[in-house]
Amino acid sequence: DGVAVLTAPQNLSVQSTNMKHLLTWSPVVVPGEIIDYFVEYQGEYESLYMSHIWIPSSWCSPTENPECDITDDITATVLYNLRVRATLGSQTSAWSTLKHPFNRNSTILTPPGLEVSKDGFHLVIKLEDLGPQFEFLVAYWRREPGAKEHIKMVRNGGVPVLLETAEPGAAYCVKAQTFVKAIGRHSAFSQAECVKLQGEALSL
Amino acid sequence: GQEFQFGSCRVEGVVLQELWAAFRAVKDVVQAQDNITGVRLLRKEVLQNVSDAESCYLIQALLKFYLDTVFKNYHGKAAEFRILKSFSTLANNFIAITSRLRPSQENEMFSISESARRRFLLFQREFKQLDVEAALTKAFGEVDILLTWMEKFYQ
Amino acid sequence: IAEDTLDLLQHVKFQSSNFENILTWDSGLESAPDTVYSVEYKTYGEREWLAKEGCQQITRKSCNLTVETGNVTELYYARVTATSAGGRSATKMTDRFSSLQHTTIKPPDVTCIPKVRSIQMIIHPTSTPIRTGDGRRLTLEDIFQDLFYRLELHVNQTYQMYLAGPKKEYEFMGLTPDTEFLGTITISVPTWSKESAPYVCRVKTLPDRTWTY
Repeated sequence: DGVAVLTAPQNLSVQSTNMKHLLTWSPVVVPGEIIDYFVEYQGEYESLYMSHIWIPSSWCSPTENPECDITDDITATVLYNLRVRATLGSQTSAWSTLKHPFNRNSTILTPPGLEVSKDGFHLVIKLEDLGPQFEFLVAYWRREPGAKEHIKMVRNGGVPVLLETAEPGAAYCVKAQTFVKAIGRHSAFSQAECVKLQGEALSL
Repeated sequence: GQEFQFGSCRVEGVVLQELWAAFRAVKDVVQAQDNITGVRLLRKEVLQNVSDAESCYLIQALLKFYLDTVFKNYHGKAAEFRILKSFSTLANNFIAITSRLRPSQENEMFSISESARRRFLLFQREFKQLDVEAALTKAFGEVDILLTWMEKFYQ
Repeated sequence: IAEDTLDLLQHVKFQSSNFENILTWDSGLESAPDTVYSVEYKTYGEREWLAKEGCQQITRKSCNLTVETGNVTELYYARVTATSAGGRSATKMTDRFSSLQHTTIKPPDVTCIPKVRSIQMIIHPTSTPIRTGDGRRLTLEDIFQDLFYRLELHVNQTYQMYLAGPKKEYEFMGLTPDTEFLGTITISVPTWSKESAPYVCRVKTLPDRTWTY
């Protein structure tokens, strides 16, 4: 190993939203020089059975930015230790380790983006594309007293999906929440969005 | 969502497809190292016709063996074959499962847990009859047999 | 002992679709046309290799091992021995083969029935060569617990109607009469991360004659 003269990166922290996990730290500054950072991780297995073993991060060994997308490295719902060190040529800093191990079940789940539109008598929705780990539970109802709430599971976002063939002139409201199998948690419901379909109710 | 139900033992927060994806990435490399095609550790007598009640005891024994013995001693090979990422995914998901298993310790379950133990001993005896390195390679190469059996309890 | 040389034989592998398991291989870089091939197979965990009848001393480069590898809970190996006219030979073995893991899924067989304001889709069961103890053929639905169908009806270029589930009959309702639609139906098996290519049907809803006198 190179002699540790560089200051070690400080203030490591993880921001995790909708199963995207970003490790950040304060940059190490040497005027006029570009610093490389190396990120490594160990899961609960490595820390329990072989604590000397660390695995280089998929995307940040090395990186020049003081942040690292560790989403692809966190592949189990267990505690992960993370560490970073800086290098400049042959100079290497000590490792800085995240103070509290990270578990992906702490990710923040936000209500999904939801677009409701209508095409003739069709009620169409498009949900935010959050990636393969997400399923959506969609609740919709006719906007009238005592209306029954219907539930539909939608497997993937980003694609317009017909929710209901509605009656002319009816108004419908829709809300949605996400569900993540890998951590067994769901988000809060989104704000309800309502639309009124064209045409008058057909009186026979 | 989907979860494992090994009898009364329920395990959430593990996605079987993630385990399959990790093993599929290394399957051919690992199994190609196993030249003893005439021996199978996870034989039918170990895994076939396992009752729901038995399954929690058996999966706990098998996964614990894989964590304590197979993964622990196969790690060097995993580094050599550059498959540490998949190896880590499998090991940490096995940790996630075992940490959530709560097999009943009540007396009336004794005969069931004993039946599971006999099955596990069949597997362990077969493992011990092989040279250590060959046994580790074969056991790691048979993770797909284990996952195929676990899939029956993934509801 | 057979000499394992690349110039007689290569790419020995299983190709599996809906549990139809075909062993295929390529001749080597310098194989003569009169090279003959012999196939053996074994169950993983068994000691002996078994000769495949009908694939001994053949000149073609494939062999149907569907029956011999028909137990979905077993894993198998196969190996090919190539022998040139000059008496040189080479043997190559497949990777460990599991039909459950390796088989791909063919598109489903579907009947699309257009009506005035709807299109009905009837999915026919997909039988496989796999048989139960009493000789009954298993379907894909029997083998894969979490198999389901994904149906999409593309309504002009903007959006699609979407239905999904394990049952066999579906109907897209509330359509415009006398209009062409494109339907795609795929088979999905999430736990095994398998998905078939789509069956595609292009249908036109019937004209609405109710108001004509």
